[in-house]
Amino acid sequence: MTSEIWTEKYRPKTFEELAGQEAIIKRVQALTNSLNIPHLLFAGPAGTGKSTLALIVVKELFGKNWRDNYLELNASDERGIQVVRDKVKSFARTKSLGNVPFKVIFLDEADALTPEAQQALRRTMENYASTCRFIMSCNYSSKIIDPIQSRCSVFRFKLLEKKDVEKVIERIAEAEKLEIDDEAITAIYEGSEGDCRRSVNLMQSTSAVSPKITKDLVSTLISEAKPKDIKIILDYALSGDFEGAREKLLDVMLKQSVSGQDIIKQMQKEIWNLTIEPETKVRLTEKTGEAEFRIVEGSDPFIQLQALLASFILAGLGK
Amino acid sequence: MKSWVEKYRPQKLSELIGQEEAIEQVQTYLESFPKVKRKALLLNGPPGIGKTTLVHVFAKENQYEIFELNASDLRNKSSLNTKLKPVLQQTSLFNKNKLILVDEIDGLSGMKDRGGVSELVSLIENTNYPIICAANDAWIQKLSPLRKKTNIIELKNISPAEIKLLLKLILKKENKSINDKVLNQIAIKARGDLRSAINDLEAVAAMDKPEEILMDERNKKQDIFNSIKHIFQDKANEEMLGTFDKVDMQIDEIILWIEENIPKVYSGEDLAKAYQRLAKVDLFKGRIYKQQYWRFLVYENIFLSYGISQSKGDREITGFKKYSRPGRILKIWLNNQKHGKKKTIAIKYAKKTHVGYKRIMAEWKEIKLILKNPIIQKELRLDEDEIDYVMKY
Repeated sequence: MTSEIWTEKYRPKTFEELAGQEAIIKRVQALTNSLNIPHLLFAGPAGTGKSTLALIVVKELFGKNWRDNYLELNASDERGIQVVRDKVKSFARTKSLGNVPFKVIFLDEADALTPEAQQALRRTMENYASTCRFIMSCNYSSKIIDPIQSRCSVFRFKLLEKKDVEKVIERIAEAEKLEIDDEAITAIYEGSEGDCRRSVNLMQSTSAVSPKITKDLVSTLISEAKPKDIKIILDYALSGDFEGAREKLLDVMLKQSVSGQDIIKQMQKEIWNLTIEPETKVRLTEKTGEAEFRIVEGSDPFIQLQALLASFILAGLGK
Repeated sequence: MKSWVEKYRPQKLSELIGQEEAIEQVQTYLESFPKVKRKALLLNGPPGIGKTTLVHVFAKENQYEIFELNASDLRNKSSLNTKLKPVLQQTSLFNKNKLILVDEIDGLSGMKDRGGVSELVSLIENTNYPIICAANDAWIQKLSPLRKKTNIIELKNISPAEIKLLLKLILKKENKSINDKVLNQIAIKARGDLRSAINDLEAVAAMDKPEEILMDERNKKQDIFNSIKHIFQDKANEEMLGTFDKVDMQIDEIILWIEENIPKVYSGEDLAKAYQRLAKVDLFKGRIYKQQYWRFLVYENIFLSYGISQSKGDREITGFKKYSRPGRILKIWLNNQKHGKKKTIAIKYAKKTHVGYKRIMAEWKEIKLILKNPIIQKELRLDEDEIDYVMKY
């Protein structure tokens, strides 16, 4: 059954269809053809083809039976390493079906695991090494502990070039009989920060409004999707209105289900767009960094963010 | 002199309040024993609603002889064995039926009664006599082996109206009177615990001016209001370290109260300092959670009490400040009510598209238009509520 969700419908199904990453594809393809892959670590930005490549590998390896021999886990969604280990355990217990003597586990967003959890995972990898291969994906390989990296072939995915995303967009536009011009393509590419999956999503969303995709349509959608809320929060804080800032903050976190870590990431970026003294920018950045560190260590991100906003109020007063 | 609780303990089943269903279930169980699927009953309900009384009264009316154990008897496997086993094997004097009541089973403490639960389970499996257990909370982890072997009967909380009615009856018999307002307060404060209500009544009735008593449900809240006022407004002093010990509230909840009210009293540098210290509290909370090192609680408490108070420096703040209860939990709850579907939809969509659901939730605005397509709704097997949500937001 083909999906009507374009990211699925147009997801490359063979090595040849993949956009960009030529060097990686060649090496992975060679490994796959030998029917014996090592553990793989795919590192790189979102929407560059990591999951897609993993899927192609298993489909090439197992053919029709791929679903029986493949387990997909998302480290940031699972509740704790124990759940991950239990799932791995029960999946790895049975033998693989078909010619290939192992099964494949794809662990997405592996860098969401704490170093301790990764240590635990490393034991699991060792215990099931004879029956299971891991493909892990992460944004930064530096967040993966060395013992795991040394057990994996590491592949570093680069952000897709504009021409690669362009090709994808044009292919879909043709198949879906859409009208799209160069300006709109650029808007999509930039709006999704080079993330191919988000580009396709943006395309499908705009096409729900009109089959003629224009730059204006794309930017309306993007500006709605990328709210100015963070700036509003900062403006409140820097003008001394703490309660306004905090109310808006809670609002954003709840209604848009944005995590504390994402908020602080956006704040850190937004600081550069503020019209304040360069000295103040540095001071705010320093405080933001400290707060981000505490969010990781602490238990309640909202409290940490409030503390940050309170310190911004002082900065707004020039203290 | 007997306490009122003893004096007015029901003697007949008809005197029990609000437990008709439970009585019926107990009856069915005892009549069909030993031809029952699960050989023991577990009466579950908060303290003071009549679990033990129910069993005693029932036994009395139906000529059962009760052998009673409670938490203090159940020390460990061997003592349980020596106490209970002979009883189960011997036949009763006077040819009465026998009934075993194991009271307060959730009071079995982990260390001392090691093996108590599992021994109880094996006794239940082999018993020739009916066994009724009683617990305040049958759903705690350590009772899980027992839950599988017993029929759980939930006893109902007794309503304030029912409690008040009974209190009036007792007063009449005691030839005393207490004003209606105070009675209401006792009945509400009891939260379904009839025993504590009768105890309170006895205490209040013994006073010269019962009306003056502050038996208000608001007692607890006043404590927290007073405590945070003390912390925020009075000059910081060492005695403050003990302030929150007197409040009947978990430290996590107190944190929320402080969080809510800092900006109501402090501003500028004091505000920033107070939040810095609250952030420290949270930091230690996170470390306790991750490392299970409970001594960090000391620091949590110091920063939360003295630390917050001292944020304003060496001074006091006079005048009336309006404190409010933490609003965040309610907001989170309301939001979950409203947007709970978003998560279930995101999980379905994420599974289909090989992405984490959290990422999908974060990108919601970019994909919500896609989700309005009926074909895709069908493909994702969204249920009616979910489709409803997608179309609305």
